[in-house]
Amino acid sequence: MLTLPATTVDYFLAGLESFMRRSGQDTHWGVTVLKLEGKPDADLLARVWEQIHAHHPMLGARLKRVWRGWRLAWESQGTVPAPAITWHPTQSVPPDKNILRERFQGQVGSKPLRSPLLMEVFPFGDHDQHVILLTWRHALLDGTGINLLLEKMASGDASAGPPEPAPPKRHRMRDVFQRARPLMKRLHAMTSAGCLSAWAKGGAKGGAPDFHVIEFSQEQSERAAVRLRTACGDFLQMPFYAAVAARALRLLHERRGWHSPQIHLQLPFQSRGRSRDLLFGNHTGTLPLFLDAGALGTLEEAVSHLLERYREAMREEMPKASEALMTLAAHLPVGWFIPAVRLSNCGQICSLFHSHTGSFLPGRGEFAGAPVQNVYNIPNVCSPPGLGIFFSDFAGRITLTLSWRRGSVSPEEVETVNQKIQEDLTGGR
Amino acid sequence: MPEVPITPEAVIELLTSEHILEPQEPILPETDLFTLGLDSMAMMQLLLQIEQRFQLTVNPSEMTRERFATAGSLATFLREKRRLAA
Repeated sequence: MLTLPATTVDYFLAGLESFMRRSGQDTHWGVTVLKLEGKPDADLLARVWEQIHAHHPMLGARLKRVWRGWRLAWESQGTVPAPAITWHPTQSVPPDKNILRERFQGQVGSKPLRSPLLMEVFPFGDHDQHVILLTWRHALLDGTGINLLLEKMASGDASAGPPEPAPPKRHRMRDVFQRARPLMKRLHAMTSAGCLSAWAKGGAKGGAPDFHVIEFSQEQSERAAVRLRTACGDFLQMPFYAAVAARALRLLHERRGWHSPQIHLQLPFQSRGRSRDLLFGNHTGTLPLFLDAGALGTLEEAVSHLLERYREAMREEMPKASEALMTLAAHLPVGWFIPAVRLSNCGQICSLFHSHTGSFLPGRGEFAGAPVQNVYNIPNVCSPPGLGIFFSDFAGRITLTLSWRRGSVSPEEVETVNQKIQEDLTGGR
Repeated sequence: MPEVPITPEAVIELLTSEHILEPQEPILPETDLFTLGLDSMAMMQLLLQIEQRFQLTVNPSEMTRERFATAGSLATFLREKRRLAA
């Protein structure tokens, strides 16, 4: 039996999944869509797929308690055989929303997926176009992990396994508690400030997940890039998109007549090593930021406010506090700590999720020998917060994914959010 | 507090000691940092580390691809910024 260290974000996701299952929201899945102009090299795909499964025992791992320290760790019997890549018959159109919806609920043919990672190829149209769907379980992969996985597959060589894991650190619980205190204070502040998500307190939690994908045209994407560059330079996509998402949520609150003095935003930060071979297990922790609703008047003000709050959180060593809090949580039964967080946050957990991936496949125009047209993620979300706003970027082309739980937001509200985001990104044209 | 000299080596030391990048091969002054995984999240951390270590505030709009492409180009940009601020 192989024991692999779990990250603190793995604990968090285990707790979140436990909460989702208990509230009838199933498991946390994501789907990545790769649109290709030609036919991908089937042999190359199969070889890389097998290499990945042969070198990453995490694909067969389960989170379990280890006796020493009574903490969670991944336990694996070793590597698992690669599930067959499914090549579907050629259709006239790309896979429809029903197929995507089924996958992002972790199902194939209405049956639950048995593997944490599935690859399917859908040929369509008269011009040899293909869509590759990767369905992945969030417990094992996050936005950073899926980026790394795509890069590894695109390179055509996945023969390197993950680096040797560092032995788990031993902590004095009193020190860990002290480090976690600034975050605890923040979460209590959120409760007293009355931050709201998209989910109405007492509202439905078990609504079916749904999504809407908006692929921006090249021209719309270029206009958004100009706005991004003006506000944030060439690189800081994350605060830019986070500010856009926060403004959309604020508008949703206004339309409902709700007063949320602050928007609670969970900004991702890298919480583990950056080896390009470390594909599985979650990479990013979350940095809780409180944005004053009144400081989000214009996009530029919102970005500036967010960056200031980011600096403040980093100065208060919030990433260390987040790690410490999750280290404490790792010693609790999985089913306890998310309900505890929910309770302390008046049921809101956090106001919104958003992606942080920057650009997919930077510097690459091909995947398995076929030119890439676009790449984007469709992750499902739970309720609360009830709404997720995700941005994907491939070669300067932006795709917006709105993901929600039915009963948390109405179709009209989803459209309001969509319009607001498009207006912020492209100036409304 | 004495000013920390801004050299390509100091920039490389910052990138690796703060785990902003963890390359398999050593970073050289002319290594392309973006191919090593310098993404938006890493840039946010880098921005703050530059403030803390070199006492320089970099405006996000100053963060261009040319300036952040390599440790060498970043050191040149930061040195110039310090000179202008003096």
